[in-house]
Amino acid sequence: MATRFHYILIAIVLASLGGCHSPGDWSNDPRGNFEALWNEVDRHYCFFEYKDVDWQEVHDRYAVRVHDGMSDYELFDLCGAMLRELRDGHVNLIAPHDVSRYWIWERRPVNYDERVVDEFYLNFDYRRASGIKYAVLTSNIGYMHYGDFSVAIGEGNLDHVLNYLSTADGLIIDVRGNGGGLLTNVQTLVERFIDERTLAGSISHKTGNGHSDFSAPYDYYFEPPVNHIRYNKPVIVLANRGSYSATNNFVSIMKSLRQVTVVGDTTGGGCGLPFTGELPNGWHVRLSSAPITGPDGRLTEWGVAPDSVVTMTPADAAAGRDPLLDTAISLLTSH
Amino acid sequence: MAGAEPSDSVAQALRPARRVVELTGGGAAVLDSYLSPVRYRGWTTGLRYEHLQATGFAPQHWIRQLTVGAGYALVHNPARSGNKMHVLDLAASWTLMRRWRLRPAWQLALGPMIDADGGAVYNPSGSNNVVSARARVSLGAAARVSFATRLAGRPLTLSAHFALPVIGIWFCPDGYESYYEIYLGNRRGLVHPAWWGNRFDANITVGADWQLGGTILRLAYHGHFETAACRGLDTRHVRHTVGIGLGGDFVSLSPRHRLTVRP
Repeated sequence: MATRFHYILIAIVLASLGGCHSPGDWSNDPRGNFEALWNEVDRHYCFFEYKDVDWQEVHDRYAVRVHDGMSDYELFDLCGAMLRELRDGHVNLIAPHDVSRYWIWERRPVNYDERVVDEFYLNFDYRRASGIKYAVLTSNIGYMHYGDFSVAIGEGNLDHVLNYLSTADGLIIDVRGNGGGLLTNVQTLVERFIDERTLAGSISHKTGNGHSDFSAPYDYYFEPPVNHIRYNKPVIVLANRGSYSATNNFVSIMKSLRQVTVVGDTTGGGCGLPFTGELPNGWHVRLSSAPITGPDGRLTEWGVAPDSVVTMTPADAAAGRDPLLDTAISLLTSH
Repeated sequence: MAGAEPSDSVAQALRPARRVVELTGGGAAVLDSYLSPVRYRGWTTGLRYEHLQATGFAPQHWIRQLTVGAGYALVHNPARSGNKMHVLDLAASWTLMRRWRLRPAWQLALGPMIDADGGAVYNPSGSNNVVSARARVSLGAAARVSFATRLAGRPLTLSAHFALPVIGIWFCPDGYESYYEIYLGNRRGLVHPAWWGNRFDANITVGADWQLGGTILRLAYHGHFETAACRGLDTRHVRHTVGIGLGGDFVSLSPRHRLTVRP
């Protein structure tokens, strides 16, 4: 009887220890920090399979270059190079002296020159609210440039913007060079262009350490706003490779609306919601953790292709021409 | 009219209530893998209120205790690279205990407890994992042992209190689910049953109450231990604090609560 009691007691103690298992503890030296980084990415990064990255092979290739005597700068460069194997603009190693990055838009044509738009299309005569620069062009086409989804869009501000542009024959939404920000601002803006509950996409998240351990995709919808101005005329969205992250998400949703056409270059991508982890030495690692699809159920990690591909050369800019904007005006005036 | 007058066989229940407010301060260690895999350490401070009183029924044998507390902690990463987290804690517990007088100066009390805590951990360095919300409600057991003596001619009560939540429910994101996804409406699997297989909590208080006239001066140690594991997330909160408190014994006189005194 006493033996049975002891077994029960041991079982209770072991069960209680289930809540005490330890996460990885890494030493604060080059090897420990390298392994901590690799493991943090291994457990939480969400596009290994989508990008066909053999992360273990990457580890083995870089781990042999780690040694005790390496400086912080050397370790940072090595770790940054390893992270660039993921080809993801949302993956950064953040140290006091630098931020590692894979920013594809830095190597692609910009297809946008703000000065050209301001001088030759807006004549420096525009309004500005909630980070949105807006005006009615001489061709009676409304134009708004939203350069940063981190800047909150006030519903009242947006009412003013859309009310001012309502007399125009169509609207150009220029999100070139917009590197992203808050998805709640995407929702605020998109909802002004829908008339009914609209599927915006789906989101899932990691539920385990395995590379395919994801939750079931959760479909989410946007609702047209009540008591706020909605815009129903034709819309052109101007995008370039610098349209990244939340902006990429915005373009993917807008493209699915019947009255919207996307003009310009493929967006920069970045459809994984980033989370931030930490290394023993205090460096941070930011990485894509929760994949978000567009309304068509597809991942847009590599970007959203435009309906009409238009590029802008340095010669265009020098001549004060913006072919993307010209195309948008032409499409709207001929609509 | 006779019913309005206390008879010789009926006396009003005297239920002295000890109420103490404490200011606490000490050290804290926090691991919240939703925010960072690294354990942070720092200092914590807070306020704590305790109400200890005999019950309305069988006041000689039963006591009840209510504690309410709020705390704030600022913790730093071990590399001391400037990374920090802010921790807000709110806690309350209610305990009903059967008491036994072991010896004239010794008392032991045991009983069930319901307690709840909540709050948030904020990591300014996070991106979409910038905050981790905390909420738990549990049923458990509590024990209290006390020893009455005198110091400098004035009553001194030494006591130790141990509270152990056993089962309950708690909030935990579904793995690395973002709060944005929860905001979008995906609220499946956020509430988990709590048991010793996925979390363990314990609160320990060791204190001395020194009665100076109508005032009680308290000096106490409070230990809070919490470890939880849920869908790949690990959470550990440990606080060791010292509390300095002031309070008093208040007598509750209520004609509605009477105690029959048998001849």
